[in-house]
Amino acid sequence: MTRILLNSRLDDCLGAWRSAGFTVLAPVKRSDLTRFDEVQGASEMSLDIVMPERTIKEHFFLQTEPLIRYEIKKQQIETEEMVPPERKRIFFGVRPCDAAGLDIDDPLFGWDYKDDYWFRRREKSVIVTIACTSADDFCMCTSVGLAPDSPKGSDVMLHPLLDGRGWLVVPHTDRGKALLEPVSSILLEEAAEPAPVPAVPVKFDVNNVMAWLAEPANFESQLWKEVSQRCIGCGSCTYLCPTCHCFDIQDEGDTYSGIRRKNWDSCSFAMFTMHTSGHNPRNTQSTRWRQRIMHKFNYYRGKFGVNSCSGCGRCTRQCPVDMGITETLHEISNLPR
Amino acid sequence: MIYNPFPMRVVSKREEAPGVRTLKIEFINQEDHEFFKANYRTGMFGLYGIYGEGESTFCVASPETRTDYIECTFRQSGRVTTTLANVDAGDIVTFRGPYGNRFPIEEFEGRNLLFIAGGIALPPTRSVIWSCLDRRDRYRDVTIVYGARTVADLVYKHELEEWKQRDDVNLVLTVDPGGETPDWQDHVGFVPSVLEKVAPSPDNTIAVLCGPPIMIKFTLAALEKLGFSADNVYTTLENRMKCGVGKCGRCNVGSTYICKEGPVFTATEVQAMPQHDL
Repeated sequence: MTRILLNSRLDDCLGAWRSAGFTVLAPVKRSDLTRFDEVQGASEMSLDIVMPERTIKEHFFLQTEPLIRYEIKKQQIETEEMVPPERKRIFFGVRPCDAAGLDIDDPLFGWDYKDDYWFRRREKSVIVTIACTSADDFCMCTSVGLAPDSPKGSDVMLHPLLDGRGWLVVPHTDRGKALLEPVSSILLEEAAEPAPVPAVPVKFDVNNVMAWLAEPANFESQLWKEVSQRCIGCGSCTYLCPTCHCFDIQDEGDTYSGIRRKNWDSCSFAMFTMHTSGHNPRNTQSTRWRQRIMHKFNYYRGKFGVNSCSGCGRCTRQCPVDMGITETLHEISNLPR
Repeated sequence: MIYNPFPMRVVSKREEAPGVRTLKIEFINQEDHEFFKANYRTGMFGLYGIYGEGESTFCVASPETRTDYIECTFRQSGRVTTTLANVDAGDIVTFRGPYGNRFPIEEFEGRNLLFIAGGIALPPTRSVIWSCLDRRDRYRDVTIVYGARTVADLVYKHELEEWKQRDDVNLVLTVDPGGETPDWQDHVGFVPSVLEKVAPSPDNTIAVLCGPPIMIKFTLAALEKLGFSADNVYTTLENRMKCGVGKCGRCNVGSTYICKEGPVFTATEVQAMPQHDL
């Protein structure tokens, strides 16, 4: 027997979780932009979209994260580490690609030196994913080994029912099982048929891509210049990416008081690798684009065993010059071998 | 947590060359100092900062044999370095580290040492030089080849004088053509060509090379011509860094994170990296 959550009981479910001390975040549309934000009830949620414009990454790896508050008085200095609050949070209605993105970034923030800003948020959060029932031309999860219903990174996965009454509820982790306890009386136990997942065509052969990138001579290929010509270096693709994690550390304030912050940065920016001397190892947009592709489909795999891409397609979908990773990888994948 | 630096007190400041200063800083908290003493080895780097301005990455210029303090040498260039250049004794700055790998100087024991540095790259070399000179009996002949654009640009002038006086160190100084003063007694010429004239035999010799990318490139070629095996040539790569701990994503050369797998590499390792990412 399977467990079912009816649409009509969603508010009861959210209420039970909130009574259990959880804050619930879900996709919310505000002035044309959909992103995860705190909700009180189901009516605030935008669940009938392919995916929100912004990823849930911004709730774990903040666009601007306060690290240390400082105050300087003569030759004395007072500092306070700004430790993220440990809040029990439920992310409801996450897309499988965004959930997978968190999983992909865990080893990066955890290797050797542990980044507590990431893990304090990760450890108290439960990811409730909804399997996709629609996809658009930019979706490419199937090209990177995932699927519209893959459970990677999900604690609980909801599969929309064919008859539209609600969702099939499948826990995938202990944390997910624990989340279902306070709502067990709200869920129905009955057989039900989930709606089919959408067909997402494979856009490139990722094994071809990885093999080509691994060939040292291709680092100097003309292809990098050709595929990056339209890039204006705006960094949108990196900010919208569920796995991009590059950051800068900057002080905001004056010599007497202020806050040291960790801010999103982007490998697309010319200043990103600029030396004090003026030497810049990646001094053109094509070398920066190469870095982005190599990092995602070669370097990251070498370090952590996975590609740093979950196939959401936002980089292409929202690129102001209609470029994106998909096009480059398609081209690489189809090179004569 | 991870990005919280150690508070440090400025002990003294020294002008090395136009725009180049050395700060000597000491730990304020005993436990921070103990951590540093237990973990610092020559070749490692740190992030030096000042609240209100930010952090910059430099090597630890003081040797592992002298850990009562940290010295760093830097060129005044941006927001952080300009502020650091203007601190006074007693002021508070910060240090995060020590990070990265080290020069395996134990493996250099019983061998001749050839140090080669250009311009403001003497500080990382100097850390290794003193780490070895403070245990002088463990190493054989020591040769230091140091060049700068002009006489004024030579850093650590007082130590160059000290090395010159020592009979167990062979110091070779050079300045670029046009950079000499009327009373300049040493070489005039670029480091790689001077090196070809003065280098010791590659037999049983380890070379430690630090300099700007262009100097490294030509000096590696000169060392190869002199018969040095790339496995016996060490260098330290410095790239822009923000975190120092393998997360911020910018210091990599190809798949190699300079902050984690470096900054110290053999020439063999450097040659295996994609050269156009250096």
